Amino acid sequence: MSSIALEGVVKRFGDFTALQEMDLTIRDGEFMALLGPSGCGKSTTMNVIAGMEDPSEGRVRFGERDVTDVPMSRRGVGFVFQNYAIFTHMSVRANLAYGPRMHGASRSEVDRRVTEMARFLDLEDILDRPSAGLSVNILQRIAIGRSAILEPAIFLLDEPLSNVDAAFRAVMRRELKALQRKFEQTMVYVTHDQLEAMTMADRIAVMDHGVLHQVGTPLEVYNAPANLFVAQFLGSPGMNLLPGRLDGEAVELEGGGRIALTGAEARAAAGAPGCDVVYGFRPEEARLSAEGLTRPVEVIERIGARTILHLSGGTKAVFGNDVEAAERAPVTLAPAPGTASLFDAASGARLGA
Amino acid sequence: MASIEFRGVTKRYGGNVAVDDATFRIEDNEFFCLFGPPLCGKSTILRLILGLEAPDAGEILIGDRPAAGIGPAERNVAMVFQNLALFPHMTARDNVAFPLVERGRPKAEIEAKVAEAANKLHMTHILGKLPGQLSGGERQRVAIARALVRDPVAFLMDDPISALDARLREETRVELKRIQREAGHTLVYVTHDQEEAMSVADRMAIIEAGRIRQIGTPVAIYDDPASDYVAGLLGAPEINLMPLAGVRTADGLVTLDAPPPRGAARLGIRPEDLTLVPGEAGTITDVEPLGGYTVVTVAADGGPDTRLMLRGQPQVARGARTGVALGAAPFFFDEAGARV
Repeated sequence: MSSIALEGVVKRFGDFTALQEMDLTIRDGEFMALLGPSGCGKSTTMNVIAGMEDPSEGRVRFGERDVTDVPMSRRGVGFVFQNYAIFTHMSVRANLAYGPRMHGASRSEVDRRVTEMARFLDLEDILDRPSAGLSVNILQRIAIGRSAILEPAIFLLDEPLSNVDAAFRAVMRRELKALQRKFEQTMVYVTHDQLEAMTMADRIAVMDHGVLHQVGTPLEVYNAPANLFVAQFLGSPGMNLLPGRLDGEAVELEGGGRIALTGAEARAAAGAPGCDVVYGFRPEEARLSAEGLTRPVEVIERIGARTILHLSGGTKAVFGNDVEAAERAPVTLAPAPGTASLFDAASGARLGA
Repeated sequence: MASIEFRGVTKRYGGNVAVDDATFRIEDNEFFCLFGPPLCGKSTILRLILGLEAPDAGEILIGDRPAAGIGPAERNVAMVFQNLALFPHMTARDNVAFPLVERGRPKAEIEAKVAEAANKLHMTHILGKLPGQLSGGERQRVAIARALVRDPVAFLMDDPISALDARLREETRVELKRIQREAGHTLVYVTHDQEEAMSVADRMAIIEAGRIRQIGTPVAIYDDPASDYVAGLLGAPEINLMPLAGVRTADGLVTLDAPPPRGAARLGIRPEDLTLVPGEAGTITDVEPLGGYTVVTVAADGGPDTRLMLRGQPQVARGARTGVALGAAPFFFDEAGARV
């Protein structure tokens, strides 16, 4: 079994608490993304799983086995780091073969695995080239292959795509996902890039300042953020967050405008009458409407298939290119029913969660 | 404030042609973007405008006057660097005033010019702050105001926001567009980020290996690309380029309403122009939910991947059989890649 459980894990460096009491279970064969800004504790979490760091408190389990005191070399996990770790004096083939050889695989077994991995990662044509002089993109691909070829039950990747260029990143995202589907490893993937997390992960753990804020599928986290941090971190452009006050089944927005609440939002509001709230809605869920938020359009950005309206006060709305709007003219927007979120202005927590 | 014009400009480094017979005109007060892959020659064009390099052939005009023989200092073109190069120990006011103080201008003139620039860029309220206390967008304003007090004829920016994280880049690019409008100056802007280029530019030039492939507004280039190369540079996910066999794509995934025009060898379809319909032409091999959009990958048996960008969060299952239909007119390209 290769599930991973962090139980009450705390990590301190001197006076600094890098991880605050963290409980996280990663299922066998799951692709889990640890997502957050730099310094959020995601790499520390990975290092604790790997055994590179000992937790200050708490236990780490792989399946039923408590590995808290098992050294890194005996945990049997595979790694890929941001900076590719490969032997540049060796050929691509020798790099791929290195791990299986060290593990005492027979020559024919090594050849079989190298051929398979090279085919999978599109490295066949350069197998006998020296690694030195290959592009960063290809080197990172080799680094992934070098680790994956050992077929570790747990595969840890720390920002593996942050140094490759944008076009290649899209290719690698799909390759990594395919790799995980093929070998069914438990994959833990550290990233600050929400696109990587959204497109590859089965579930995302969103972190900030050493705190695990939410764990869920990409759409759970996107549609129902647990608090203001998660709401503003995910989404491109980010969620509109408008301060206001609950008034019956509506929000009176600061700076003018009243938005009626329906369904789950209204139920959430009923539990907190008169509460100061932050009303959140995704720019993609904005619709032109008879009533709602009326603001002049400051800038219209057309980016390929999308037209983004930037309203005064910072509200954004994403439409197709057929939207009728003009810079300086006012528009009135409301989110599609059932897509808004309400947060307690004081605590930042989602209302009605 | 000036136009910038290139007439048949070529620049070589040894045997390498960095800029190849470039002809274009940047209008006064225009936000003009040079866009292309790394090393395509866009930064060389900036150096030619600045006067740091001289063309091997052709002519450059700034404000309709030939620039040949005019040194970088006299051209009065302001370069705003990627790191902005603000003095961290000086207030925004002192940073903006610096070029005038350095030239020994009278105090009254300095004050008036700083006030004017700050007013134009809506940054009077931050003049007393240190760069460390300012947001990314505010720091951009300070850097631009500092260039503005010199009264340059144009601003040049070389990938100014590429070092910022994604969220900040999204916000700063809109801010830059606002700032340029407020400053009312010609701005030549280099980027390799297609979203950023489409966002900020009034017009853009698409550059490939030193050659200008297309010039126009971002909307015109996106909607009416001259070649498959240009079509492939703009848009994420990338445009689907599919070989044609009669009225179908070679893999049989997409069927056209009418026969393709003569000479058409390939079809280009934007991912947002495809929809899923009931059918058996292909299999859904991947579903990537992005929240506001969902990218669905479909492949016919043995065929290449075709990507669709669907609005919202449709319930789509990986492994399901499906048909694919065109929702808008596609582009046709000939064997060489030119639009038919």
